[in-house]
Amino acid sequence: MNSLSEGPKAEAITVVLLEDDAPTLWRLQDALTKAGYQVKAAGTLAEARACLAQGAPKVLLTDLQLPDGHGVDLIRETRRRFPDTEIMVISILGDEESVISAITVGATGYLLKDAFPTDIAATVRDLVAGHSPISASIARFIVRRTQSTPEPPPGPALNTTKLTPREIDILWGIAKGFSYAEIASHLGLSRQTVPGHIKNIYRKLEVHTRGEAVFEAVQQGLIKL
Amino acid sequence: MNDHADDAQPDLPGRERRRLQASRLIQYLLLQAAIAGACVVALLQSLPGPPAQYRMTALQLTDAGIERAVTLPYFSPRRDAMNDPPRFSGQFVRPASEAAQPWSVFVPRFTNGVEVTVNGVVILDSRRDPAANRPDRNTPAIAVIPASVLRDGENAISIRLFIWGPITGFLDRIWVGPDAELRPSYDLRTLIFVTLPVVFSSWQAILAVILGIMWVMRRHEPAYGVLAAAMAVGVGQAFLQTPMGETPFSKLNVILISSAPIESALVLTFALLFSGWKWQRYGWILFIPGVLLALAGLFGNQAMVRALFLILAVPMVGISLLIMAVVTARSALKRPNVASLLLGCAVTIMLTCWIADLLSVFQMTPNRIFTSRLSYSAMLVAIGAGLTWRFARALNQVDGFAGRLVSQVREAEEKLKVSFAREEERARAAALARERTRLMRDLHDGLGGQLVSIVALSERGNGSAGIGDAARAALKDLRLVIDSMDDIGGDLMLALGSWRERAMAQLRPHDIALDWRAVTPQGVPVHPELRPWHVIQIVRLLDEAVTNAVKHANAKRITVRIETLAGADGHERGCITVEDDGKGFEITSDGTAAGAIKAARGLRNMRSRAARCGAELELSSCAQGTDQGADQGTRVRLTLPHRFPDSDGAAG
Repeated sequence: MNSLSEGPKAEAITVVLLEDDAPTLWRLQDALTKAGYQVKAAGTLAEARACLAQGAPKVLLTDLQLPDGHGVDLIRETRRRFPDTEIMVISILGDEESVISAITVGATGYLLKDAFPTDIAATVRDLVAGHSPISASIARFIVRRTQSTPEPPPGPALNTTKLTPREIDILWGIAKGFSYAEIASHLGLSRQTVPGHIKNIYRKLEVHTRGEAVFEAVQQGLIKL
Repeated sequence: MNDHADDAQPDLPGRERRRLQASRLIQYLLLQAAIAGACVVALLQSLPGPPAQYRMTALQLTDAGIERAVTLPYFSPRRDAMNDPPRFSGQFVRPASEAAQPWSVFVPRFTNGVEVTVNGVVILDSRRDPAANRPDRNTPAIAVIPASVLRDGENAISIRLFIWGPITGFLDRIWVGPDAELRPSYDLRTLIFVTLPVVFSSWQAILAVILGIMWVMRRHEPAYGVLAAAMAVGVGQAFLQTPMGETPFSKLNVILISSAPIESALVLTFALLFSGWKWQRYGWILFIPGVLLALAGLFGNQAMVRALFLILAVPMVGISLLIMAVVTARSALKRPNVASLLLGCAVTIMLTCWIADLLSVFQMTPNRIFTSRLSYSAMLVAIGAGLTWRFARALNQVDGFAGRLVSQVREAEEKLKVSFAREEERARAAALARERTRLMRDLHDGLGGQLVSIVALSERGNGSAGIGDAARAALKDLRLVIDSMDDIGGDLMLALGSWRERAMAQLRPHDIALDWRAVTPQGVPVHPELRPWHVIQIVRLLDEAVTNAVKHANAKRITVRIETLAGADGHERGCITVEDDGKGFEITSDGTAAGAIKAARGLRNMRSRAARCGAELELSSCAQGTDQGADQGTRVRLTLPHRFPDSDGAAG
């Protein structure tokens, strides 16, 4: 699919992997190592920070619930320190609670913990290539937030005012199960530009001030003060 | 008067409005002129009298010692002394043939009092009748001549005319004849000039009570109070008798004497208030003539009062009528309504009669019938009719208002019901969303993490692939349950979108392609009544179809077609078809699979799920080896109902 995926350059791609459940950590590490990535595994936030101290990785994969803190903090730190690092959240269910809260602090994708090894490698490869994965349920969650409702819906807070009508159309297409090719043809786009739009959507949903993010994290119960 | 507001004309351009007002003014003036003309014609009519043969017009008048011949009707100069009144004397002949029936003397009109003597015997003294003593009433007098007094042939009659002002004396023609001939004329005059005013005075009393109650209940409309006071004064004036001479109560005459200017001032105030005028201090000016007259009555003598009456009361009545005519004309122009129009017509009638009376006072008409007091009844009728009109209109408005209110309340009720249902629905959705969020967190923190660990562990160990698959299937189902609880607003496409992702993840390791075709752009129709449990049944049914294709058919490609079909009944129905290119299986005549028991159970499950949602399930399968190349494999065709059932239908 892409020259990055299977060339010798793949050796150079560094991944920091933060997951506190040991079997899951091994599994993900296995899948990525076999695909040729250089993986630094961590089980706690402290270990992950130590790994990051050695330099910017290309990719950061992190769980959210960790023994010594919350993955959201690490995502935000990393996003500020290494703007070029691609960040993905490892989610059990791919639900909007975990994924959206990670997106608002700077993640641009998610990975299911039980994904097949080939899918894990492919998702990371796409991410490095600039293609952010998005699920139908996440897309649905975002577009529903673009519709005005009298009372705020449950779930994490999300500011969708920056999204353009075209981006909202793309999200609708994804929510209804259309492929990128179908969406592109419906909207008169080139198929290759759809993943770029999705990454833009993620970037627009990111909350940029620290205070705002902390406030929202507290709001959604991710941080307990 | 607030209730005139709805009569106000909408704003028109100036020229238009002026033209409209001019035409209205002309119409109004023409109407009033017609009424005045009709009044004049009516006033010119003389009342029918008894046969002319009994009339006496030529009499000898003895006044201040001088005797001369006069012809009736006769106007006598005013005098303030009661002694030595003018005396009219004459002769009449009673034929002997008439002796059988009683004869009478009929004096139809006189001011102020008469004493009739026949053959030296006094048979009538009008001064004993208080009603007859009032010059403003045209009280007639009749007296039967006692048979013993009357002779056959010539008889002498003499009439003494008492004059006490305030106007000149007057004696109309007199009749002497058979009582039966004179009586009808007397009765007619009594009816018109005595009975009718009493009736109207009673009516006025009733009006006074009604208006008084109205004012008590509606204190913010002082016009009613003023009118009630006017009516009360009028009633007092009509029913209190005027005793002659100086009695202990004679000072009460003040009330009666000053009643005319006070009543007219009150009625004028009412008309002004009624036309929208706000009471001002200078309004008291209107009551000055009445008060002056009352003071004169209290402290002065009768002669002075009578003199003042002419210069205060009579002009006051006239001025009041003139102002009222202008005011009612203006309000008839500005806001035409029945009450103002009636009032205006009554004022015109009264004004005409007042002018006629004035002419009569100044002896410019040959007769002296005062009609002002009588014409006041037109005003009373107008007030009564106007009141009734306003009352009926107010009732209509109340009815209309009540009707509007009822319909508004009904509308509001409907809206409330709808909004309540919507609110309930929203609250239900919000509760479901909260529950879903809670469940999601619980599952995420507990069960989900454990299942992921099982998957990871089973991949590390050997020969435990079955456990991993089971755990993965459990995770997939967990995601389905959470996903189906999400509010998708009845758009099944949103649920199918998530399902597509899960199905693709499921098929990828088996190298089976998923061909997804949304044939119609919007996919399947939106169903507002779609509930999470419908979604779960449909998605599990589709899962079952895909799982069958993976496990039993050895398929390489699965095609999902989503389309909207126009049904035979005109309703649009969604249709989802899952088709594989696998080996297919035999379907027995009762629609169950003839093959493996497991597959048969799967098919039964699918039918049951479809039946619960009211959907139709159509299965077709061709075992490999038949010639129908294009149709090979298995096809599951699910036709969604036009409307999803509210409750869980019976399992088919």
